[in-house]
Amino acid sequence: MSDNFFEIKNVDFKIGNKVKVKNVSFSIEKEGDIICLLGPSGIGKTTILRTIAGLENINKGSITLKGKTLSSENINIEPEKRNISLAFQENSLFPHYTVKKNILLGAERNEIKKDKSINFEELINLLDISHILNKFPHEISAGEAQRASLARSLITKPELLLLDEPLSNVDQSFKEEIQEKLKKILKNSKITTIIVTHDSYEAFYLGSKCGIILNQELKQFDDPYNVYHLPNSVEVVNFLNRGILIPAEVTSPKSLENKDLGTITGNFVKPFPIGSSVKLLIQPEDLHHDDTSNLKFEVIDRKFRGTNFIYTLKTPTNTLIPVFVHSHHIHQHEVDEKFGIKRPIHIDHIVCF
Amino acid sequence: MKFNSWFVSSFLISFIVLIPVITVFASFFETTSNYYEILKNTFLVEYIFNSLNLLLSVLLLTFIIGTGAAYLVSFYRFPGSEFFKWALILSFAVPPYIYAYSLTAFFENYGTAFTILKNLFGEANYNKNIPKFDGMFGAILSISFSLYVYVYILARASFLYQSQNLIDLGKNLGFSRFKSFFKVILPAARPAIVAGLSLVAMETLAEFGAVDFFSINTLTTGIYNSWIYFDDLAFANRISFFLLLFIFSLFILENLSRRRAKYHFNSKGGFKQKVKIKLFGINAFLAFIFCFIIFFVSFLFPLSQMLYWTIKFPENLFDLEITNLVLNTLYLVLLSSLVLIIFSLISNYGNRVSNNKTLNFLSTLSISGYAIPGVILAIAFITFIAWFDDSIIKSFGFSSIKKIFIGSVFGLVLVYFIRFYSLAFNGIKSGYEKMNISVDESAYLLGYSKRKTFTNIHIPFLRNSLLFIIILISLEIIRELPITLILRPFNFETFATTAYISASEDLLEAAAVPSLFLILIASLFIIVTSKYILRENNE
Repeated sequence: MSDNFFEIKNVDFKIGNKVKVKNVSFSIEKEGDIICLLGPSGIGKTTILRTIAGLENINKGSITLKGKTLSSENINIEPEKRNISLAFQENSLFPHYTVKKNILLGAERNEIKKDKSINFEELINLLDISHILNKFPHEISAGEAQRASLARSLITKPELLLLDEPLSNVDQSFKEEIQEKLKKILKNSKITTIIVTHDSYEAFYLGSKCGIILNQELKQFDDPYNVYHLPNSVEVVNFLNRGILIPAEVTSPKSLENKDLGTITGNFVKPFPIGSSVKLLIQPEDLHHDDTSNLKFEVIDRKFRGTNFIYTLKTPTNTLIPVFVHSHHIHQHEVDEKFGIKRPIHIDHIVCF
Repeated sequence: MKFNSWFVSSFLISFIVLIPVITVFASFFETTSNYYEILKNTFLVEYIFNSLNLLLSVLLLTFIIGTGAAYLVSFYRFPGSEFFKWALILSFAVPPYIYAYSLTAFFENYGTAFTILKNLFGEANYNKNIPKFDGMFGAILSISFSLYVYVYILARASFLYQSQNLIDLGKNLGFSRFKSFFKVILPAARPAIVAGLSLVAMETLAEFGAVDFFSINTLTTGIYNSWIYFDDLAFANRISFFLLLFIFSLFILENLSRRRAKYHFNSKGGFKQKVKIKLFGINAFLAFIFCFIIFFVSFLFPLSQMLYWTIKFPENLFDLEITNLVLNTLYLVLLSSLVLIIFSLISNYGNRVSNNKTLNFLSTLSISGYAIPGVILAIAFITFIAWFDDSIIKSFGFSSIKKIFIGSVFGLVLVYFIRFYSLAFNGIKSGYEKMNISVDESAYLLGYSKRKTFTNIHIPFLRNSLLFIIILISLEIIRELPITLILRPFNFETFATTAYISASEDLLEAAAVPSLFLILIASLFIIVTSKYILRENNE
């Protein structure tokens, strides 16, 4: 038997007879860990949560929590007997009860456990919902409903908490604050959590591990740094949309050659034979601005992102390369102007496919 | 497929409700008496012709009255428009048979009209100048003025949810008010109007009291007569079969219209609240007169006529055992409501948790009970019990069970259950439709079992819907005539049966008192529910 707190082994997740995600395996080692599942809309992330909660059955593989099998081909423990809480993406508050009553219904479940690590008052203050406690679900905004639903799930102090796009309806301006508070609550109360989101920044911030689901498969399950900097497939690179793949030839165990950029040095994450043609991942942070350099490309687009700019440069071979530059750095290049790239080009982790 | 106890219960309930339909279809293969030959050669054509004549005329009249009144109160403000908005649904308290009694009482020779003229202008022979509203014409008027409410309510709801953008679009295209009505407003409300007219059609074909009173031979009275006079249950069922085929096609039409009407009612996105136009001068007067005439003719007229006779012949009031009638009515209403609510709740919840296609289909089929005329239901029920008693019970050597079901309150409530099951089922269903399935799932995830979810989450949520359904059921049972007439226990009367019996014995004055009570009680129920019926938001 495995020592993992939670484990999914070779499970096909399906709705009805339609398989959404195939042959998934991953685990949560310790109680209190937070993991995030990331993927485009409609890929089957919610199906995974619903199945873990017991709302959908499986006919292959197994799901275990604290060593106890919850779902397998022959076992399906009823949702109400799992002590797993799922906060739905859409408003699932009981429409005929006030927000307060809704949350207290969650607290009823916790009463049996006498767990005081999550306090009602503290929770409503943290999630900033004290002003809507006496309102009915139809009288509050989608973001408020989502926070109330989150409070109801949290207060049950489940063994496993499942959050489906928990902040998708929360205002952008308020989102980071709520993310911080949520992480704090989850860590303080040691609630093991699986969060589903399509927002990579949210996943990277909240999760100690991230799973990327694409094309019916769990493509990568790793810590956020590795998922971002060391993606294991072209699909993951394309999904994160934070870099491009350019053709290059391996010239030595520590260098490559590209027609436009010239020689690039660094450490290969995965070794390739010398002379082989590869696709090299270039992320915006890999290249640096230097107008004194003789390597210059035409500016096609410039995006202002507050703390930084992202330039899109066109090379002589018509490849579009993104370059990240801090806002305060002097680099006011307009579209059609030339933009210099610092040489020699060195990338710490060379990711090739 | 989840075969749990909820599934089995829902399945059984739906099956019980379907028994009369199965019986009618099964009877098609049985032999009948010679009456069939006689009827085939003589009356059947007349039955069909009369039924069609009645149907088409009522449809035309209810369309004009219902749509016209709904249009005026939805789009315009004029003196009394707020009052007429709800007053126009009061005519639902007057069943067609009571309207028929009033019509006859007023216009007959030496009737109320004659008395009024005599008091105003002195003795003379006014009878030849007073128009006679009897026969087919009387039946058409009686049914139309009672049933136009279906068209009125649905058309009004549809008009209300028409966005101002739609009206503005018409204006922008340079349409006149008249052209806007026919090119924009009416086509947009068509599904709702068709749904209303389908209900009218089903009720008209099922109508028994008024057509029987005016001695019109329709398919429904044919069914009743072949059973009561010729004792030919199989033939009664055979006519029922044809009538049912016709009614089911209307039922399907109504369902399809309703489904399309749903899209129309959706106010999300781009909906702009309509601004009612204030009418002045002659236009305001004409709108007022149109609504007032409908209100007067459909409600005030029968009410006054019944009140007049009650005052004129007070001995009828004292002869009537009012306490008994009230208790009987209350007994039937409470018992039937309880049974209907409990079983409809179970069935709906079973459908919700099972999410099974076969069960959904069976439930859809079982709600067709409302489309089946009461006469057919009652006779099919007797047929089924007779068959069950003869073939099953007696073959096991048990004593007859007929008495338990026929001529008993139990049997009566059971057939009411079949007849009004769709009312309760659909009412609860529409309540459930407002509750996302994730609410159930949230409850499970909070540790609630299915039973606890049902009692602690669903029942409190459906409380208002249930109250509304109980009142609607009560209203229907108070007005119901043929089933009660056929299946009631000996010496067990309701206001409806007492009125019918007096009228059929040509004692119209005696029919006035129970009719008056029936109208008053039904009006009370309508007033209580009017805020639900006429709600102006899209909840």
